[in-house]
Amino acid sequence: MTSNHDPSILSPDRTLPPSNPPSQKTFPFPRDYHFPPYFTRQPTLTTRHAQLQKWSSLILSYCRYHKIWKLSLADAIESDLFWNKKLGKRLSREDAREVLEFMRKEGRSEAVGGKDGSVFWVWWRDPEEWAGLIADWVDDTAQKNTVLTLYELTESEATLSQDFHGMDPDLLQKALSILVKRGKAQVFGQEDQQGVKFF
Amino acid sequence: MFLKHLDLTTALRPLYLPDEVLLFVQDNVGLYEGKFKIPSHQNGSVYLTSHRICYIDTEDPRKNSVAIDLKEVERHEFYAGFMRSSAKITLFPKPSKRSSIQNRAISNLSQPSRSATASPSPRTDSPFHLPTSDPSPVGPGTWICPICSFSNPVPSNFDPYTASERTPLAPCLACGIKPPYALVMKAAIASATSRPAQPSPVPVRAPIPVRGRTDQPRSQPDTWHLSSSEGTDVQKSATASFQCPRCTFLNHPSLLSCELCGAPLISQDASRIAQPPVRTESPGPVLNTMPLPGMESNEIKISFRTGGEKIFLERLKGSMTQRKWLLQNAPPVPTVEERTIAGSGSSTPTGERVKTGGIAGLEQRSRELRKNNELVIGNAFEDLEALMASAKEIIALAESFAATNGTSGSSDSSAVANALGLVTTKDMLGGGSNSESLYISELSRNLAEFLTDDARGVLRKAGGIISLVDLWAVFNRARGGVELVSPLDFEKAARLWEKLKLPVRLRQFKSGVLVVQASDRTDEKTIKTLLAWLNDLHVFPPDKDLSWDWQVFGGGITAQDAAERFGWSIGVAEEELEMAEEKGALCREESIEGLKFWENWIDDTQAPGGRQLYNVI
Repeated sequence: MTSNHDPSILSPDRTLPPSNPPSQKTFPFPRDYHFPPYFTRQPTLTTRHAQLQKWSSLILSYCRYHKIWKLSLADAIESDLFWNKKLGKRLSREDAREVLEFMRKEGRSEAVGGKDGSVFWVWWRDPEEWAGLIADWVDDTAQKNTVLTLYELTESEATLSQDFHGMDPDLLQKALSILVKRGKAQVFGQEDQQGVKFF
Repeated sequence: MFLKHLDLTTALRPLYLPDEVLLFVQDNVGLYEGKFKIPSHQNGSVYLTSHRICYIDTEDPRKNSVAIDLKEVERHEFYAGFMRSSAKITLFPKPSKRSSIQNRAISNLSQPSRSATASPSPRTDSPFHLPTSDPSPVGPGTWICPICSFSNPVPSNFDPYTASERTPLAPCLACGIKPPYALVMKAAIASATSRPAQPSPVPVRAPIPVRGRTDQPRSQPDTWHLSSSEGTDVQKSATASFQCPRCTFLNHPSLLSCELCGAPLISQDASRIAQPPVRTESPGPVLNTMPLPGMESNEIKISFRTGGEKIFLERLKGSMTQRKWLLQNAPPVPTVEERTIAGSGSSTPTGERVKTGGIAGLEQRSRELRKNNELVIGNAFEDLEALMASAKEIIALAESFAATNGTSGSSDSSAVANALGLVTTKDMLGGGSNSESLYISELSRNLAEFLTDDARGVLRKAGGIISLVDLWAVFNRARGGVELVSPLDFEKAARLWEKLKLPVRLRQFKSGVLVVQASDRTDEKTIKTLLAWLNDLHVFPPDKDLSWDWQVFGGGITAQDAAERFGWSIGVAEEELEMAEEKGALCREESIEGLKFWENWIDDTQAPGGRQLYNVI
């Protein structure tokens, strides 16, 4: 039940690609990323829809690649996700927000608490999927009925190969609460010293 | 056949012959042959031109349209309509060889003065089977000498269509003063209008004013003339004294000209000479064909269901008397050189032309030419009738002036020609409750013709698409300042194209801009050409380095580029590009360089050959 989990590392900075380099290789942007009109809002409905879908999938795969769970809009529009420096083209803040709004409707993003709504969850896996993933891992590693700290779950070397390694603690809470509801886990402990037991 | 096949323009109007002028249009008419309606010719428009009467069916214009040449119309009758029967105009064909007897039977009842033996070749206009001994053959018509008011005959060799100031004119028979040219011209025109539709081959040297039942025998000549209708009568009258057709003085039959007034008389010999060949032609077996019931139904009736018959009749009368179709067969207007030769020839008593060479000769020629032009213009504008008679010459002159004044003249002169004919104006159209809509539909056809006219190439010059406002300006300009079309009528007419199935269409862009384009030029075609162009941008290397992969994406085009490439106006180019964008074929890129349009690589269903290129990357 020990956890030297430091909340300071949950700062938004951590969600940004420069400070979170899981891999030194750069993300392979899709072809559309190099197409200048891709960065202009399309007025025609069908084209607009296709454009939003392409942005949506780009953001999801970008976030998956860089293991980003929380996307801060203000920072992201300065990143190469929304700014193709080679083309000299960037998505405007309004357009980026619209893309995220579109993703929200598709169930692929969610505003994180704040009223200004500039930080978004990006569900390249939604909480249900995360919950399933964690349960499966516990199953596979025969850790049922053992107690794990939340820190262990996301930061220990044992989970290094798993997608949920380094997962945002808030998201972890969400995923675990789903498992609790299903009766597959039990979370106990204090604020910073939480443990979980899987059944 | 009396009813002839009719060629139509693309706008489903009659294809005019050279020099043909549209006089009147009336819709809602039906055709009858004899007493019976002609099937599928019951709802159409009738076009009266200077040469023809054209019926154009509303239902199936290409199949059921017919024309009647006015030159084949013997006469026409008017029936005013009663109770529920509409007003009708009946057209009787000129007798063919077979039916001449029958027609004689009809016409003899009403036209005592007309020769019974109809000519087999009705176009022989010249009535002069005259004895050559006659010193001064005289055509019909008289002119009053302004000096002594003696009425002189117009010389027979004076043709109002070919005569010019240089035509030698005989002096007044009483006082010997030469008449002014315009006076003789007027007299000749006046007599031409009262000339018979079908000149008699019987030698006649006096005016024959009778044509059709409506005209009353006019004046002097008919007393003796009547007798000539049968050869035997002539024989009888030969013993009697001979009445002068002009002054009614009874001359001795052997005299060739009137003792009192000097008017030429027809000699009994002449009539005897002329008679026999005609007589062999007319009677005989034809009689047997007369009672055939089918022969009777040769007359064509036009039934005016919604009025307009009065103006039609009036203009029909006018064109029957003007007989413009004769002009078409007439010798061309003598060229300048011919005239010069004739002029100088007459000036020298020996008949030889004074020969001058070198620069002096050229100068003299140009001087004569200028003088001649002056005369023609002077005469033409002296009064209206003379102007009408010499309209052809004046147009030719105007064109030659325009040609010498510069290149821009050519379109203007065609505008002049256009203004003088073939243009639908409001007064050409029949009355009735729907005259306004008839005007609009005629204007609509007129416009369509104007647009599809290859010689003009209005649409081609504008890259196949022109805004309605531009077209309005061009069209009114081509009308030469007469009968300008109001914008309201113009738009209404343009909106009718689709309904009338004409080969042009009016299109409204989503911004509300109205443009005109050929109806076979669809949005799909426009998009195709745009995409073909964009496709080229993948192949041809750009002249500067681009930050994107041009081999994959090609390039973006602005409205300016498109306008330059296709000859469109910028406004049209913008609209076309936005149309293509709206259809999903293109997408846009906003940048500091302006709005550019690209192939739509965003929407995979639209991306050109997107799949194979995906693999390349």
